[in-house]
Amino acid sequence: MDAALKELIKLEQLTAKSPSANKGKTPAINDSLDSLLQTLYGHKKRLEEGLSSEQELQSLAKTVEVRKKEIDDRQKEVYNSLARYGKALDKRFPTSLPTYDPLFASPEAEVALERVIAMHFLRTGRFSTAETFIEEFGVDIPSYLQSQFIDLHRILLALRNQDIGPALEWAMKERAFLNSRSSSLEFYLHRSEYLRLLLASNPPELSRAIDYANKYLRPFFSSHPIEFQRLMACLMFLPLERMRTSPYRDLTDPALHLDLEPLFATEFSASLGMSKQAPLRVVGDIGGGGALAKIEKGRKIMRERKSEWSQTDELPVWLIEVPLPPENRYHSVFACPVSKDQSTEQNPPMMMSCGHVVSKDSLQKLSKAKGIVKCPYCPVESTLGTALRVYF
Amino acid sequence: MSNSKVNVEGIMLFEQPFARVPYENYRKVFRTSQKNIERELVAVQTASNDLARRAKESAQDPQDAIKSLESMIGRVEGLKRKLSDLQDSAGSPTQDVMRERLQHLNAVEDVQSPKDPEYTRWEDTRLDRWLVDWVLRHGKERTARKIAQEKGIETLVDIDLFMDIRRIEDALRSRSCTEALAWCSENKTALRKLKSTLEFDLRLQEYIELARARKTKEAIAYSRKHLVPWQETHLTQIQQASALLAFPSTTTCNPYKRLYDPSRWSNLVRSFRLAIFNLNTLPSEPLLHLALYGGLSSLKLPTCYDVATKNVDCPVCDAWFGKLAEEVPFSHHVNSTIVCRLSGRIMNEDNPPMAFPNGYVYSREALEDMAARNDGMVKCPRSGEECDFSKLKKVFIS
Repeated sequence: MDAALKELIKLEQLTAKSPSANKGKTPAINDSLDSLLQTLYGHKKRLEEGLSSEQELQSLAKTVEVRKKEIDDRQKEVYNSLARYGKALDKRFPTSLPTYDPLFASPEAEVALERVIAMHFLRTGRFSTAETFIEEFGVDIPSYLQSQFIDLHRILLALRNQDIGPALEWAMKERAFLNSRSSSLEFYLHRSEYLRLLLASNPPELSRAIDYANKYLRPFFSSHPIEFQRLMACLMFLPLERMRTSPYRDLTDPALHLDLEPLFATEFSASLGMSKQAPLRVVGDIGGGGALAKIEKGRKIMRERKSEWSQTDELPVWLIEVPLPPENRYHSVFACPVSKDQSTEQNPPMMMSCGHVVSKDSLQKLSKAKGIVKCPYCPVESTLGTALRVYF
Repeated sequence: MSNSKVNVEGIMLFEQPFARVPYENYRKVFRTSQKNIERELVAVQTASNDLARRAKESAQDPQDAIKSLESMIGRVEGLKRKLSDLQDSAGSPTQDVMRERLQHLNAVEDVQSPKDPEYTRWEDTRLDRWLVDWVLRHGKERTARKIAQEKGIETLVDIDLFMDIRRIEDALRSRSCTEALAWCSENKTALRKLKSTLEFDLRLQEYIELARARKTKEAIAYSRKHLVPWQETHLTQIQQASALLAFPSTTTCNPYKRLYDPSRWSNLVRSFRLAIFNLNTLPSEPLLHLALYGGLSSLKLPTCYDVATKNVDCPVCDAWFGKLAEEVPFSHHVNSTIVCRLSGRIMNEDNPPMAFPNGYVYSREALEDMAARNDGMVKCPRSGEECDFSKLKKVFIS
């Protein structure tokens, strides 16, 4: 963007109103106009005084000419600068966005997208924007969902203000759900409160902290024995300054409390059957972070080869495999190492007795008389019958 | 997989209109200034030449000369004021927008890693820009302003442009070409470069309306003035239009019936939109749609639509996203990626897949964790099978 920025600075100098900032090869338009005005006023005065001569009026016409030319020159300079700016943009953005047939245009898709957007505003805590959007588009979002998200953000706000109360209340209410996910949310909430009692005041509220640990942390001893021991042992290294240089310095990290917010949001969303990251962000980030560019590259090659490919066909694999960051791999994909086919219900992955996995079709093709299969990856021979279907 | 770096080129694919719209706006400002300068200074030039000529012929009345100078002064003063107002109200605000957008794009060029919080914030803003674009294309101004204001991104979105589009489209919908024609004349050169026939289509429509009202004389005059200049490229259409005068608007004769068809107005709305989008390099589809298309088709797998294999964190597995994803292709992969259903982690040599005797596979780390808490026993959460950790079998995925 540097070339364009450089040109923009020139453009700003050419059009600046303040005389000190205005710079160019030609005189500033304002100066030319001012000097033209001066000439005109001067002539008017001469005329009024009856002193004007033919020669003077001739020279006036010439002066007007000269000033106009000055102004035209400056305009030309601006024009050229603007053209260079446009060229810099062309160079930085050599390709236009692709043209597609209307996407998501069916009534069902439209409803789905409106809902997705409304949920996005709710999820990200932008309630008043959500309200405007829902009203303007007439989106149907069940009011219990809206109130759930308002709840979520009330709790998150409390967490930010060092108040674990509302979060704890929710965690206790949802204990069965949290346990089924082996979530440590409740323990971490108590841990944060305990550390706050120890570290937030000087001198530390030692007896209150120990009472707190007795009452709330001990029940977690069986599930978090080592962490529990460390939390109790760190008392020896108080106060805060000393603990910061001790083996327990990790417990002084403010992140311990700050991380509660995303952890809580994840658990809360999961309890509503929702993903931990805002899905519109995830999809948009992937699409806008290179996926569309990759697909376009593939489309271009397809066009050059004159092959047909419609917008909804499977992405032509030999051209387009969009790389995804590990956190966005949500499902196992098994591609048979022999045939390169992606596994399906009809052609599932099969594990031979040596532990190597190929697709069922490949396995059939590899088999010889009496169903004996020689593994293509190791010397072991096994039979069709002992191959085990695996589930990833 | 190369995810350690931000794919700047992939990102920039979306940003052409973002940089281009304020540039087009500035060109308009420049044209306005040029028009004003030309008009006023040519008038001053003519007046001064007149003065000089009359002085030469000694036909000068001093009072007239003073008046003439006063009018010149008036013009120059007026021009000065106009240019200054233009710079204040349009020129310099547009330059600000240009600068802010370039700097915004610069920021992403400087980002080192996708994990950079700066980049996350940038993506946040981008999604909001897309949402504003999307709601504006749906003609909903209130949400657009709300988002822009809430996020302080007024200079990064094109509310004014879309308001302009809406004004002209509304006029077309109420069957007035005036606003659209004014826009065409403002952008004559650019439209010619794009080989747009919008202006002809609008002119033809005005002509058709005269024919519909049976104002034959006016229609002929109109055609002579506004249609005939297009004869090189649109001769057949002009001929057809001439013949239209012989048919009343109730005709059933086909080419003429079609010309009288009121649906031509909605086509005009579409052509206008196409032309103004083209001029600003805006895609015909909302930016959000393009991003969703790219994103969904990278994520979509048959397993997203199978209850047994859904993953709550996968966007496509969501019912509503799943609905949208029906319109996009499945992603395809030549290499296996095995994701542990217990931990969500991708398995590899350091954390290999282990199979239960019934074939259900999880990562070793997750199973070891389970065994440690369970006296060495592991249980498959999907099939319920329980066995000793030692009964698990290592799986090799090449």
